[in-house]
Amino acid sequence: MEAWPDGRDAGTESTTLMARWKRFRSGPNDTLVVSLAEEELGLLRSLPEQLREVLEGADDDPARSRLFPRAYLDPTAESEEAEWQELVHPELLRERLDALELITGTLGRATAQGDWWEIALTPDEVQAWLGVLNDTRLVLGTRLGVTEEERALDPADPEAGAYALYQWLTWLQGDLVDALL
Amino acid sequence: MTAPLEVQEPELEELTLTDKPWIVIVWNDPVNLMSYVVYVFQKLFGYSRKKATRLMRQVHEEGKAVVSDGPIEKCEADVARLHAHGLWATMEHPS
Repeated sequence: MEAWPDGRDAGTESTTLMARWKRFRSGPNDTLVVSLAEEELGLLRSLPEQLREVLEGADDDPARSRLFPRAYLDPTAESEEAEWQELVHPELLRERLDALELITGTLGRATAQGDWWEIALTPDEVQAWLGVLNDTRLVLGTRLGVTEEERALDPADPEAGAYALYQWLTWLQGDLVDALL
Repeated sequence: MTAPLEVQEPELEELTLTDKPWIVIVWNDPVNLMSYVVYVFQKLFGYSRKKATRLMRQVHEEGKAVVSDGPIEKCEADVARLHAHGLWATMEHPS
């Protein structure tokens, strides 16, 4: 598991993107208000489509397998596994696709507050955010082969951009979980 | 006073009482945040913060932890909810 990010510089050139103050605060009527820089909003808007491609993509994609793992480790339990997959997979997939719809809707109604963009999220929308942030990190983490050790970031590394995005999502999700705990 | 009702124990219940329960295991992974795992344990199982944190620590330090148990149907549902939340969970029957 990954520990709470402690504010180390992730190597991104954008200071706005990494500005680490609380982004989620309680709003009226059980809402949670998120504040985002414009480029962050743009980044988040690009996620649902990318995640949808993984969700609806090839079965042998390791990132997709990470989102839909086996229930039975025992290799002799193939029939139980197949039965379980048949029973739950359509629902697990639909829930994830629904979350993409929900988060896309929220990102479309961001309102400008000075230099920032704000969105008030209902409890259901908060769960969609939590799920999409986590699923995106699982996909990126699988693609990048992340370990529990922090990776030294070399700007010349072709994966530097993806890794910086992963770290930013880690921080944003951590902030969201803190607001919920 | 009325005579006590004769209780009929169904055989099935006896079986499930003596049968070992299935267990649900959550495995450590490098992506899920510790705080998120605590949140998910509390949300899905209604565990206290203390119990959820203890289980999260066990997953992190020992590589896995048994997070719930019960009849096969309950464990299948628990595993599905854990997968929906991105945790790596499996189930097995201790022999």
